[in-house]
Amino acid sequence: MDKAEAIIAALGGADNIDEIEPCATRLRTVVSDADLVNEAGLKAAGAFGVMRSGNVVQVVVGPDADTIASDIEDLLD
Amino acid sequence: MTRVLSPVAGQVVGLAGVPDPVFAQAMVGPGTAVDPERAPGQAIAPVTGTIVKLHPHAFVVVDDEGHGVLVHLGVDTVQLKGEGFELLAAEGDAVEAGQPVVGWNPAAIEAGGRSPVCAVVALDAPADALSDVKESGAVEKGAELYTWR
Repeated sequence: MDKAEAIIAALGGADNIDEIEPCATRLRTVVSDADLVNEAGLKAAGAFGVMRSGNVVQVVVGPDADTIASDIEDLLD
Repeated sequence: MTRVLSPVAGQVVGLAGVPDPVFAQAMVGPGTAVDPERAPGQAIAPVTGTIVKLHPHAFVVVDDEGHGVLVHLGVDTVQLKGEGFELLAAEGDAVEAGQPVVGWNPAAIEAGGRSPVCAVVALDAPADALSDVKESGAVEKGAELYTWR
C-alpha cells in the first residue's frame, strides 16, 4: 500500500474524508467522524506528527504534502 | 557542511518562538526562526542549491549535499493563497545563497491577524547535525543562522 492509500485508510477511509488541502508541511483534512482516525496508522504511513481539533486533523508529512495531497485526491475521485 | 543563512532581517526567536506546534516542536526538523522587520522585503535563498518546492508563502532549497532547507514565511499564510507574495524565482531553478526568492510584506501579514515569523528548518535533520544555532538577538539578512553537518 502506498503512502496516499495508507493515509486515507488511517483517516477512516475515503468516505470519512470531507476535505483535504495541502500546506507547505502538512495535510489539513476535515473528517466526518474523528473517532475513525487512527493516529498510529498515520505515523506508520510516514507522518511526523498529527494534530487534532474536533473534526479537523492536520497530518504533518513534510514538504511533499502537495504531492501526497494530489495522490490522495486522485484516489478519492 | 552547509552554512544556512537568514532569509530575512529581524530578531531571532528560535523555533520555539513560532506560534505553530509543527514548527515549535520541530516535527519537520530542527532549525530556528526569525521575527522579520515590518517592512516590505525579499526573502532570500538560505543556501546555494535548487528550489525543489516553491509556494508563495514557503519554499525549499536543496544544496549539493542533499540538505533541504525550508523557509516558511509566517504562520497559517497558506490561507492567503498567494496574496501579498511575489515569486521572484521558479520551482526547479538553481539559486545562489542570498538570491531573492519571494517578495512579501511582513507588516501586511501581521495586519491580517497572522504571525509573520519566518521558520528556517533543516528538513529531516537529526537535532545534533546542527551547530552554532542562533536562538536570539538581531540578525541581518544573509547572516548565518546555523551550520548543518
